[in-house]
Amino acid sequence: MNRFMRMLIVLTIFSLTFSGVGLAKEIKIGLLSDLSGPTSTVGRPYAQGVKDCAKYLNSQGGIAGQKIKLIQVDYAYNAQQAISAYKKFVTRDKIVAMQGWGTADTEALTRFVARDKIPTFSASYSAHLTDPKKAPYNFFIAADYSTQLRAALKYFKEHWTESRAPRLAFVYPDHPYGLAPIPAGKEFAKQLGYEIVGEENVSLKAIDATTQLLNLKKKNPDYVWIGGTSPSTAVIMKDAQKLNFKPTFFANIWGADENLIKLAGTACENQYSLQAAAIYGQDVPGMKIIKELTQNQPQMTHYIRGFASMLVMAEGIKRAAAKGKITGPAIKEALETLRDYDPMGLTPPISYYPDDHRPNLSVFIYQIKNGKLTFVSAQSLPRKKEWLGK
Amino acid sequence: MSKANKCGLFFTSYEQEAQLFPSKFQKICLGLFLITLCLCPYLLDTYIISLFNLIFIAVIGAVSLNLLTGCCGQISLGHGAFIGVGAYATGYLMQLGLSFWLALPMAGLITAAVGMIFGIPSLRLKGIYLAIATLAAQIILEYIFLHWEGVTGGSNGLPVDSPQIFGFFLDNDISMFYLLFSFAVITTLAVSNLLRTKPGRAFVAIRDFYLSAEIMGINLFAYKLMAFGVSSFFAGLAGGLWATYSMYITPEQFGIGLSISYLAMIIIGGMGSVLGSIMGAVFITLLPEGLSWISGSLSNVFPDISTYLLGLKEGVFGLILILFLIFEPEGLVHRWRLIKAYWKLYPFAH
Repeated sequence: MNRFMRMLIVLTIFSLTFSGVGLAKEIKIGLLSDLSGPTSTVGRPYAQGVKDCAKYLNSQGGIAGQKIKLIQVDYAYNAQQAISAYKKFVTRDKIVAMQGWGTADTEALTRFVARDKIPTFSASYSAHLTDPKKAPYNFFIAADYSTQLRAALKYFKEHWTESRAPRLAFVYPDHPYGLAPIPAGKEFAKQLGYEIVGEENVSLKAIDATTQLLNLKKKNPDYVWIGGTSPSTAVIMKDAQKLNFKPTFFANIWGADENLIKLAGTACENQYSLQAAAIYGQDVPGMKIIKELTQNQPQMTHYIRGFASMLVMAEGIKRAAAKGKITGPAIKEALETLRDYDPMGLTPPISYYPDDHRPNLSVFIYQIKNGKLTFVSAQSLPRKKEWLGK
Repeated sequence: MSKANKCGLFFTSYEQEAQLFPSKFQKICLGLFLITLCLCPYLLDTYIISLFNLIFIAVIGAVSLNLLTGCCGQISLGHGAFIGVGAYATGYLMQLGLSFWLALPMAGLITAAVGMIFGIPSLRLKGIYLAIATLAAQIILEYIFLHWEGVTGGSNGLPVDSPQIFGFFLDNDISMFYLLFSFAVITTLAVSNLLRTKPGRAFVAIRDFYLSAEIMGINLFAYKLMAFGVSSFFAGLAGGLWATYSMYITPEQFGIGLSISYLAMIIIGGMGSVLGSIMGAVFITLLPEGLSWISGSLSNVFPDISTYLLGLKEGVFGLILILFLIFEPEGLVHRWRLIKAYWKLYPFAH
């Protein structure tokens, strides 16, 4: 025990010595990441994207002559730890903006960030976060889950050649993330003339989906939307292959990524993935920078979304700095002046309005061909008022 | 009872011995401790105060779970969901226009009722079987949080307003500190006192051996249900306070992870002891902060591997729990008693 205590004291002194505070003026941004919790497989690349973007911006001279300082905390997808990390960010580190992560933290902090006026970017794309009346300081850079689903439905309807109505089914986990876009999706599908034939729940932790798929197979859908994460999507696709059930699957943003191809193998061939950012190696202007930063080591698409999220936030900070001070409210205001801002082609162009924080209503549709995500189309919807927050 | 055991305290009646704080020294220490705590918001920064707030909520939850599991022996894996019931009930009642001061006790009663319903199987089930039954409660309640949209807001969650007193909103950490502190003190005192009463002793008798308790004339079913009810009432209070503190609740916040972390609190603190629950709550709430601080400091030294160092946290957390179970199975409170015993006879060894 004594030795342990001694080690602890040495460690403490050691870390105190090295945790010197930089003297130059810095723009401090909190980075709340899940590096060890249940969503860490995608949380790590996303956080790395945010960090690499800050590194890139700093190598370009920072913003308005000030370097960006990211202060990262691993909150392990736990709302309570997110709150205490946030309090530390605000009171100790004096951050001006925050890069958040999942549903658990973003929603637990919605009212805190509004009260403290800390613009927050997250990777939780629930539609209700886009309504400034309810979440005035929340932003994100991807179309919300409902919009993604609507855009994909529109795309498939436009490419439907038969005279009968296309049959549609939904497979999703009974979980806030899975449930969020379902009402919007159903309503829009009916409007477009789809026939909704089935609905099944497959848990995010499922290792088998045979029962649910047998039920669906009887109803013979043409399209099946999957609202899970890549492990659960892989289970669904592999079981469908086993059962010789061959609808067109299309998976939500967290449901189909580079991991799916490793997990599902041939079962995911020709299936669709909805994404909001480019994939590694895609021919867009920003990819050259990313390739340099990552030394040509391919990264997941979540990395690129993290990168873009930081890039858009930086644009807001740059505009705020040009107008005067870099403060939370100034950044929020500056972000709300963005009109079709292009984050180097990494995501569809982004606009925020004071009464509408939907970044865009576009989704990138990818198809898995020869074991690779292949870009198919960028599908856009009109910015309808009645869809805001739903 | 040997007199040496008490070292200077000579009781002449049972009432004297059953006092919560038998010596003047204890009373003075406790008073000073409470006064120091009350002064904390003036001495410490908001971050530390926010940690205190989280600890106070955890204390209420842990003390209530310890009453059920530690004192009455009814293991519960559904405590996180019971806290959720309190949170949603408070949020919903406040949305209906009730003031916080009415909504909170009502939420406590609603949670008590829900807890008692799920406590019914406890007559037939015990040990691991009851654990699974309460796990079922956890799953059922989580399902309700997610699907009863009219009340809980479903997947969108439920915004909750800050408590109001005399027209003032308690919407910052310092004002919430006093509110949560008072509730933590009230809960601790209430549970400590309950344990000195007939029901409290019945709980302990049931925990120690249900058959002898029944032979002594204890109505097992009534007392087990009462344990579920009282424990859930306080869990409901903890939930309501959490809801008003975090101001936004979603089903994800009340998952099985929360139930497990409360169990960890009472195991690490010491089963069956109110003081132990407090120690466990402090320990479990501060552990991630301590680990964050260490990994954050180390990542200043090793910036390139900082992501991995930060991510080590959960692993270390697990390791510390295991080490605790092996080397301090009776909890922190046991260590505290040993320290007290050591100083009682100092400088004489035994």
